[in-house]
Amino acid sequence: MTTSRPPPFDAWLFPPGLPQPQALEHVGSDTVTIRYPKSDHHLAYILVSSLRAARPPLAGLETRDLITLLGAAGERFPHTLDEEAIGEVAANAGLSPPMTREVLGGMADSWTTDALKRLVRAEFPDPRVLDGFVAEDGRKTHAAAPGVTLHLGAGSVPGVTITSLLRALLVRSPVLVKPGAGDEVLTTRFARELHRADPRLAAAVAVHYWPGGSPGRATWEQELLTLADQVVVYGDDDTIESVRARAPASTRLVEHPHRLGVAIVDPDSAPGAAADAARAVAMFDQRGCVSTHLILLLGDHEGAREWCGHLAGHLARIDAKLPPAPPSPAELSARHQLKGRLALRETTTEEVTSWAPEGAGWTLVLGPGRAFEPVGGRTVWVVPVPAAAACPDVLAPLSAKLQTVGLAGVRPDRGRLAEALFGLGATRIVPLDQVPFPPPDWLHDGSRPLRELVCWSELR
Amino acid sequence: MRVILDELSAVFGGWDGSGRDDAGAGREGGGRVVRGAEPCRAAPLASDAAFNELAMRIHEAQRATNPVLRRFWDASPGGKPADWREIPAVPATAFRDIAIVAGTPERVFRTSGTTGGGGRRGEHHVLSLDVYRAAARANYRHHLMRGAESLRVLSLVPGPREVPDSSLSAMAGFMAAEPGVGSAAWGFHERDGVDIAAVRAAAAGGGPVLVLATAFSLVHLLDALGDERIPFPDGSRMMETGGFKGRAAEVDRDTLYGRAEHALGIPRSRIVNEYGMTELLSQAYDGVAGTAPALRERLHRFPPWVRTRALDPATLAPLPPGTPGLLAHFDLANAGSACHILTEDFGHTTPDGRLRLLGRVPGAPPRGCSMAAESFLRAFRTTP
Repeated sequence: MTTSRPPPFDAWLFPPGLPQPQALEHVGSDTVTIRYPKSDHHLAYILVSSLRAARPPLAGLETRDLITLLGAAGERFPHTLDEEAIGEVAANAGLSPPMTREVLGGMADSWTTDALKRLVRAEFPDPRVLDGFVAEDGRKTHAAAPGVTLHLGAGSVPGVTITSLLRALLVRSPVLVKPGAGDEVLTTRFARELHRADPRLAAAVAVHYWPGGSPGRATWEQELLTLADQVVVYGDDDTIESVRARAPASTRLVEHPHRLGVAIVDPDSAPGAAADAARAVAMFDQRGCVSTHLILLLGDHEGAREWCGHLAGHLARIDAKLPPAPPSPAELSARHQLKGRLALRETTTEEVTSWAPEGAGWTLVLGPGRAFEPVGGRTVWVVPVPAAAACPDVLAPLSAKLQTVGLAGVRPDRGRLAEALFGLGATRIVPLDQVPFPPPDWLHDGSRPLRELVCWSELR
Repeated sequence: MRVILDELSAVFGGWDGSGRDDAGAGREGGGRVVRGAEPCRAAPLASDAAFNELAMRIHEAQRATNPVLRRFWDASPGGKPADWREIPAVPATAFRDIAIVAGTPERVFRTSGTTGGGGRRGEHHVLSLDVYRAAARANYRHHLMRGAESLRVLSLVPGPREVPDSSLSAMAGFMAAEPGVGSAAWGFHERDGVDIAAVRAAAAGGGPVLVLATAFSLVHLLDALGDERIPFPDGSRMMETGGFKGRAAEVDRDTLYGRAEHALGIPRSRIVNEYGMTELLSQAYDGVAGTAPALRERLHRFPPWVRTRALDPATLAPLPPGTPGLLAHFDLANAGSACHILTEDFGHTTPDGRLRLLGRVPGAPPRGCSMAAESFLRAFRTTP
């Protein structure tokens, strides 16, 4: 019996009426092949022009109606994904189907009507400013995104690009989305749902995947960076720097670089923290900017060793319930390197102990803070710290990249600690169990997610 | 250990490329820079038995003098190794963490930031520069210097005075000091980049030039030249090394060599790639300058004191020739540190012991928007 290879997935969606691409390229694995249009310098102009023309009808929608339209699509969307579709999304993202379902469930909470209402209200106490000029302290103000927004997605956390796309539409910006590699299927499927929902959304949403940064795409990317009014870019430092270097001054940049998540746990005051910590580590297979890589555990080394045993147990349980996808050769290589390095470290100091059971999809390292580096693939480092007051010093070297700090059981020092963490650059300090899925109105990388997209106008 | 290091220097120094199917290649005109044929003491290492005998002697010496390795091996599963293949390999990234050396190092070489990352750069503590020089010298003389009456060196690799902790710069320094090398110019500086005037001056002088370049510095030179052509004298040749990891403007090697041929007048058959790592004291080349085949036909080969295996990424079991896997090298020149190195490179071997490099391991760990170690280490380095 032979198994047939699934048909390729078309990772593009153009507004109705635009010519369909004549030549296609593809990239893929054994389980999913992604097709996308070949670079065509006319296409960039046609796409952006078409999206720009869709702005007035989009702007003509009142905010409450737009929220209803988008929220309904967001609520409907998860139910449109059958097992086969989940499998396709999972294969594309490099996650297991159970993890994909879990991630989608968590992310989709931000796409509902109520969630979008909450987001808009948190950003604009009077949401009518998105519809027109509204009186405010002796003047009138109006907010909207500038023209067309180009989204350059990063990597393979399914749903991140959808959230980003919804934000732009809420502030009346037609969007051209380049999903990150591994997020093509979910993003394109969601865009199709929006196209079905309303012709004004169909005209305002385009998806076009291409391998970002590839030499043959330099001209194409340059054209888009010039034509778009605003670029939202997710990615590593190289990607961000590359976009910065090429975008003209007239194009507004909104940057979301890669970030690190950490946790601070007082095990005596938070007996259930090990389970929450394991979930914060494992969710998205540790690829989210919110994902926890490092846990500062209050107490001594012996206590930490005992707590690590609990954490290992929970990581193993999550491994069974939400298994990681089969690792790629690069992930396997990274594990071999880490395993060997830890074995060598253990020969020189008793400070380092590791748990990496054969065949497990996680690694736990107990050691000093100076040893830490984010490895990914559900690898978590636990560092014993004598008291909460000592945590900022341990985290200081990471300050440039800190984002989410999950707290468990550190209430007496919470206020002072939060101030110190804020001083280090942490932009999200939340209970550990809330780490994986931020609410819709979270301050994403220290910015208000809608306000960072808009321009204001005042009328006096 | 000192006795073994002296022995290795002598063995490597006597190697003339014999025992290789490309040994005679490039001996056009008799080869004056590489003079005469010394008795070859390295050739027997081509035999597995001789290689294993020396490898196991080194292993015993390392057990006695290198406590880090001894404890690492003792803690590793498996008993006493009967064969070099059974000696547990040290991951290349471990050079970031720990000094692996059998004594007091004569020099510490550091990785530049791609393989080893930035904040914690890999450090190779080198016990004997003589061994490094001997291992490198025999190999570059064979692959780069044959067939020339005399050579001048133009290095687009910063010099050893400028970057004293770079193993590549050290090797460039060795080459510049070769008796058959008339003059050496340093045409790339860490701070200022390519020195076009130095390149023009080198091209204008008489006699062939050996150009040493990283892919990165070569791209810089060619970009700086634009449409300008600076033809180098007949017989000039080039060693190119390194990749393009982390560079926004990636180019493939075929394109790069084509541009170099056009701009510098050095034919592709005289441009050879060197594969090396800070963590290894020996290097592999993909041809002999002057007779290097077309790029698609090229395979890298180490000298006979190195063995390379491709390993199954999941199990680390050895793979047969032709099957790609993680590359592990066993370099006898690393006697002072660690011989058996598990790399993050991907490739396959051939039945005759050559190597097809396929770059970094495929399927880079998906990252989403979480920070990768490499970015982290780079950021860590730049954080005051």
